[in-house]
Amino acid sequence: MANDQSATQDHSYDAIVIGTGITGGWAAKELTEKGLKTLVLDRGRDVKHGDYPTATKDIWEFPYAGRATDEDMKRQAIAARSGYAITQASKHWFVDDTEHPYTEIHRFDWIRGYHVGGRSIMWGRQSYRWSDLDFSANAKDGIAVDWPVRYAELAPWYDHVENFIGVSGRAEGLAQLPDGKFLPPMDLNCVETHLQQTMAEKFKRKLTIGRVAHLTAPLAHSPQRGTCQYRNLCIRGCPYGAYFSSNSSTLPAAEATGNMTLRPNSIVYELVYDDSTRRATGVRVIDTETNEHLEFTAKVIFLCASTFGSAHVMLNSVSKRFPNGFGNDSGELGCNIMDHHLDVGAGALVEGYTDQYYTGRRPNGFYIPRYRNLGGEKRDYIRGFGYQGGAGRLGWTRLMLDKSLGADLKEKAATPGPWYIRMGAFGEILPNHANRVTLDKTRKDKWGLPLLAFDAQLRDNEWKMRKDMSNDAAEMLAAAGFREVKTYDRAIGVGLGIHEMGTARMGKDPKTSVLNKWNQVHACPNVYVTDGSFMVSSACQNPSLTYMAFTARAVDHAVSELKRGNV
Amino acid sequence: MSDNNLMNRREVLQRVAMLMGGAISAPAALAILNGCSPKPGASWQPLFLSKEEGAMIEDVAELIVPRTTTPGARDVGVPAFIDVILKDAYPSEDQARFISGLRDFDAEAQRVHGKPFLQLPQTQRVSFLQQVHDAAAAAEKVQADKEVPAGERNRPFILMMKELTLLGFFTSQVGATQVLQYVAVPGGFQACIPIAQAGNGKQWATETSLRF
Repeated sequence: MANDQSATQDHSYDAIVIGTGITGGWAAKELTEKGLKTLVLDRGRDVKHGDYPTATKDIWEFPYAGRATDEDMKRQAIAARSGYAITQASKHWFVDDTEHPYTEIHRFDWIRGYHVGGRSIMWGRQSYRWSDLDFSANAKDGIAVDWPVRYAELAPWYDHVENFIGVSGRAEGLAQLPDGKFLPPMDLNCVETHLQQTMAEKFKRKLTIGRVAHLTAPLAHSPQRGTCQYRNLCIRGCPYGAYFSSNSSTLPAAEATGNMTLRPNSIVYELVYDDSTRRATGVRVIDTETNEHLEFTAKVIFLCASTFGSAHVMLNSVSKRFPNGFGNDSGELGCNIMDHHLDVGAGALVEGYTDQYYTGRRPNGFYIPRYRNLGGEKRDYIRGFGYQGGAGRLGWTRLMLDKSLGADLKEKAATPGPWYIRMGAFGEILPNHANRVTLDKTRKDKWGLPLLAFDAQLRDNEWKMRKDMSNDAAEMLAAAGFREVKTYDRAIGVGLGIHEMGTARMGKDPKTSVLNKWNQVHACPNVYVTDGSFMVSSACQNPSLTYMAFTARAVDHAVSELKRGNV
Repeated sequence: MSDNNLMNRREVLQRVAMLMGGAISAPAALAILNGCSPKPGASWQPLFLSKEEGAMIEDVAELIVPRTTTPGARDVGVPAFIDVILKDAYPSEDQARFISGLRDFDAEAQRVHGKPFLQLPQTQRVSFLQQVHDAAAAAEKVQADKEVPAGERNRPFILMMKELTLLGFFTSQVGATQVLQYVAVPGGFQACIPIAQAGNGKQWATETSLRF
């Protein structure tokens, strides 16, 4: 780099990365591998790979059979809305909501993990590419702003990310869900294959095995990571490193370069802007262990603090130049909150296949790629949804309302129950300026920082789509000959998809967007924002893979701009 | 087994997992390391329930999952499990419903059979339990058909007892490994095979700590 001495001074670096989740880990790896002395900050405690306290416990080693206590449910009431996060095996990865409050104008589900690695430890690992159907959607529909990027530009970065993290999946040749660089796919079971066949015959729709960031074969470049052991206890952290997390993958790679300084327990609350150079000079930090306020400087800053974490830092970074929040000339900062709406679908009992069973616990299910509003079809809503689901044999919990008691009950419990199949939809949420987050200056957290206030809700397009999301599931299950098909559609808050995005969208025009096509703040080119906040539309695919691809691309851009002296 | 040993075993497992990187078969390593778990005491002192209430739930739990050729609810410590989970994992209104339901259950036994539940002979306890259970299950079926989530059904005493007995028993080491079958680290996945080739063909024990 131009100035290698910078890193030798205590608080001065080539680059600062804020956050260590999916995108912060990637920014750290790419920056350090390109030779930049990089300070990596996380607001939470350090977690080294392998430091997963519950990972190898058997269920009987937990109190309360693993269930949350009444106290847990009070302290982690928001995370508990997920329905799965708060158990004795996983609660330590989710914040104490009483210590990290926020304001909900409408119900809003903000589910967080404050520790090194962030939610890359607890993520769902489903990894799908976007296509030009998604990147051109806003332009075609004339809503929000156009994506400044198309698939061809991003494809090599998807390759780059998939090659490094390892994604297991099957190539299907679909235009709306481009194939990637896949490790061997996991298998569908016989009931899932049955559904796959009837869907192809009766609906001309695809069903494929989920594409997941799990190693189904070793990766030569990451010998610290092993292959999937089919325990399906991923949410606890994987001691084998079999699924991708920052802790198992990108942070060790960054560490190995010798260029990373990782500083946990560091809350970034402000970006420092210098009027004379029209650049950010660094960040202000609260050390949560000492309560000290510190300042760190760098030539380039990567904001990867999660969508609302980054929105908070930017909204809180006011200066003469940016009175309404950092880089907020457009007034779009904090607006256009998107997520995927879910908890809607159908389940059914399956006749037959009673002589078939499985071994191992597959941490994955099937995926039904989007098929609505394709090929000229026009529903009464725009965009679409995909399904994730799975089939398995029901266990002893099916006997809850069964009449058997005593020895009879015990014997039934030991016999595999009937097959049951279920699928739930993930639907696109449209960008809407009115779905927004602001600073609630009337309330402060324990460090004196203003809280976030969320004002977002599902709107007409999503409600119309939801009807298809449950009806289509029921129709496909019934067409496969399954019985007792039941739909479900539960009340959710925006955020429950844990795919939040959109609050600092990219675009061609600085008047209507916060970032340019390289994830650079239009008005301050040495600040890059690469977590979900840059997203311009939400598509219906799980977004993490796309965040990673954009992050790697943004680092490549930043480093070449640094070399050219443009940043 | 002491906490210290438990910790050592966990550390060993973590280290094995880290070292192997999944390249060799984990089940073999685990088979050596497995085989010890907290052992429930034969006698227990209720912390939440009264002694009389404790005796009642012990009997009811054993009627729901009795000792057969394999151990039953009492053998694996389900009564103490229920006492503690009631104390720590239920809000006060659920605790109150459980206790008053337990008293009503006993009063109803007295009314129908002229004696408190625990003084009835085995056959009468079994038939009375079945009667109360079936009525409650039929009532809850109406809610289940309307897709009311299990956690919101305000289960009466008898169904809370059934839920917690099943939960405590099948997540115990004995329940999971002797009545069901369990492999901590499968090491591979076979999606569909003849049932006789899926281990010993019994139901797999998988984690089920959420509401059902």
